[in-house]
Amino acid sequence: TQETVININGMTCNSCVQSIEGVISKKPGVKSIHVSLANSTGTVEYDPLLTSPETLREAIEDMGFDAVLPD
Amino acid sequence: MRYLYHSSGNLPKHEFSVDMNCEGCAEAVSRVLNKLGGVQFNIDLPNKKVYIESEHSTDTLLTTLNKTGKTVCYIGPK
Ligand SMILES: [Cu+2]
Ligand SMILES: [Cu+2]
Repeated sequence: TQETVININGMTCNSCVQSIEGVISKKPGVKSIHVSLANSTGTVEYDPLLTSPETLREAIEDMGFDAVLPD
Repeated sequence: MRYLYHSSGNLPKHEFSVDMNCEGCAEAVSRVLNKLGGVQFNIDLPNKKVYIESEHSTDTLLTTLNKTGKTVCYIGPK
């Protein structure tokens, strides 16, 4: 299991947090996700054989948010 | 919120209810619709409604709105 922290911009309320956690936690290879509204981040534990930080970033973008991987 | 006066007239118009709580939620909805393209829309945030004029099928529009992870219902044609 690996962990990645994705910067998420455009979240403004708790329902954004719940939407992202709800959708991303169902993606293949995702073990857990914790989204912080205060920090504008999503911390994801994932199986690197099934998904990647880039795939997860795109999935968050698809939901209408700005998602950026750390350098 | 912005209202569309320049309706083209012949595009089918659909009404959806989308569980949005604030401007940020509405912004996320706008983004997924703009990504799809080929839509003219108007968001009524207080009433949690999204009005869309588009050639796209209801299914396509519903799938697109569902991407936001918010609760979406199709109300009907407008
Ligand atoms: Cu929100
Ligand atoms: Cu909101």
